[in-house]
Amino acid sequence: MLRMRKLEKAYRTDTVETQALYPFDLEVLQGEFVAVVGPSGSGKTTFLNITGLLEAASEGEYWLDGADVCSLNDKQKSRLRNEKIGFVFQSFNLIPELNIYDNVEMPLRYRKLSTAERKARVEHALEQVGMGSRYTHFPSQLSGGQQQRVAIARALAGSPAFLLADEPTGNLDSKMADGVMSLLKEINEAGTTIIMVTHDLVQATQASRVIEVKDGVINEVSRRTPAIA
Amino acid sequence: MIIYYIKLACLSLWQTRSLSLLAILVIAVGVSATMTTYTINYMMTKDPLPSKSDRVFLVRLNNWSPEAAYRNRVKEQPPTYISVQDTVNLMRQDKALGHVPIAGFKDMLKLPEQGAIDANMTFVRATSKDFFSTFEVPFLYGSGWPQDSDQNGEQVAVISKKMNQTLFAGENSVGRSVMLGEHQFKVVGVLDDWFALPRFYGDSMRAFKPPRDIFVPFQTQINLELWTSNLQSYECWKEPENTTVAALWASECIWVFFWVELSSKEKKPEYLAFLDAYVQEQQALGRFQRPIVNELQSGSEYMQERRAYSSDSKIAVWLAGCFLVLCLLNAMSIIMTKFQGKAAEVALRRAVGASSFDLVQQYAFETSIIGLLGGVFGLVMTHVCLYVSSQLYTHLSKDIMSMSVEFMLVTVILSVVSSLLFGLFPIMRAIGVQPAKQLKSL
Repeated sequence: MLRMRKLEKAYRTDTVETQALYPFDLEVLQGEFVAVVGPSGSGKTTFLNITGLLEAASEGEYWLDGADVCSLNDKQKSRLRNEKIGFVFQSFNLIPELNIYDNVEMPLRYRKLSTAERKARVEHALEQVGMGSRYTHFPSQLSGGQQQRVAIARALAGSPAFLLADEPTGNLDSKMADGVMSLLKEINEAGTTIIMVTHDLVQATQASRVIEVKDGVINEVSRRTPAIA
Repeated sequence: MIIYYIKLACLSLWQTRSLSLLAILVIAVGVSATMTTYTINYMMTKDPLPSKSDRVFLVRLNNWSPEAAYRNRVKEQPPTYISVQDTVNLMRQDKALGHVPIAGFKDMLKLPEQGAIDANMTFVRATSKDFFSTFEVPFLYGSGWPQDSDQNGEQVAVISKKMNQTLFAGENSVGRSVMLGEHQFKVVGVLDDWFALPRFYGDSMRAFKPPRDIFVPFQTQINLELWTSNLQSYECWKEPENTTVAALWASECIWVFFWVELSSKEKKPEYLAFLDAYVQEQQALGRFQRPIVNELQSGSEYMQERRAYSSDSKIAVWLAGCFLVLCLLNAMSIIMTKFQGKAAEVALRRAVGASSFDLVQQYAFETSIIGLLGGVFGLVMTHVCLYVSSQLYTHLSKDIMSMSVEFMLVTVILSVVSSLLFGLFPIMRAIGVQPAKQLKSL
């Protein structure tokens, strides 16, 4: 489902070349919950950005759901992101001037769906994360945990095959963090593949696989049977 | 999607209202300066008679001294006006669809029942009935005088709407009388609002001033010997036989502008041939001892030759255009600043699947709304500027300082198009962000 071969990332300037990620191979199957751990600056976010098509790899092959990512143009990548990937960010990344409904609806706007279908998907996603009664609220009216739930609903609204989460509990207190982790596990159990970058090793143990990134080198630490194969 | 983009644009405009307002004002000022100068220049230089400009001509005959060319010009060119006797002759020969002499005088005007103290000095246009049809003059009441009035020099008059308001409180005054000096004239028609711009048919010095308020037959001026020597230009290469008005009429002194309307533009060579034949005929009688260089000149050509259009106004339009570009560059910089604050949102939208084209559309809508509002504000400011100009330059016709519906539309379209054009760079910069770098800053 997700296959990377000899993928690497280097940042080059006229005088300096920085190897952010050394060549690595990786396969992620449908239904896996992969935690990516490692110290700050190790290359976790770069890995997630490449996985989420937000950044291009310098070398190597990347296949996502049958598509050769390296050969896609900007428009095709946008479409693949829209249809296959949902993002959850540490800082929620909700647009402050849009209400909850509009924030969740945003990815669907780029998918040419009918108003009725968009509405059904948004309502379902918000119900799924327990925010069904807050359609008209604005992000500033919600707690951090609630905002992250809305961000997860936005990621889920498009029914993505992959959910990429970058430190999803990094800005939350432990109680809220537990709630978000439970939600992610539920989503994974429902069939969505999750790749989550985290600092928290306790949270990482809740994943079916743990990958460590250290100084740009990716290593598999542990592996369990996925929730849904 | 269009409604979605408009909604996002409105939200963004509100969110960045100070910068947006500044961009709108900058565009409005530029558009207003350009459209004000362009409107004035256009109104001053436009074709005064677009439907007939190819078949209405000023008749120019080379009636001057055998000793020297008119005004000693190296390239011989006929005067712009002709003598009374040639005017009368050409009208009698009746070879054109319309014959319009432009002469005049001034006299004291009052109502018959008013005393001398109520009389006002009034400039009178002496012309023919064809004046009204040839120059497409609209009537509020009545019409021009009949052919007989031209032939017999009857004491009939057409007055302007303004004069009708002054003398008759705006009522239908057809059939009423006015006194011009000692002569009583019967009103046969009242004009509706009418401004020929530029007013090409007479003295070029008065091209941008309103038309006269009272019109009488040319033949009436001749018959009644109504002459005002200091009213208009007149030139004589040979002095009249004596100082009487009758002698002036019979002299070679030239002072009547004579326009003809031909039935089609194809008739121009034919009428020119007629003029040549007429001059040859007159030469046989001892007149017109200079080479035949008769001309039929259109209103626009005449105005250009007389330099009625100031080159300053053209320069002003160019300067205003440059000022608009400067304003748009400023607006571009403001829009760029505005969009820079949106880098994180752009990154997020890209992350959730918006293509570059989706984002270009979104920001193009926002820029267009800025341009639209700039255009509307610019339009309002243009009207204010034109109004102020009309108050400052009261000697010029108010019509110069007015805008047609087409120009209003052009103003708004200009604003939207130029904003889009100059907004393209900020848009491309805004959507060119690396999503990965910006996603942490929303």
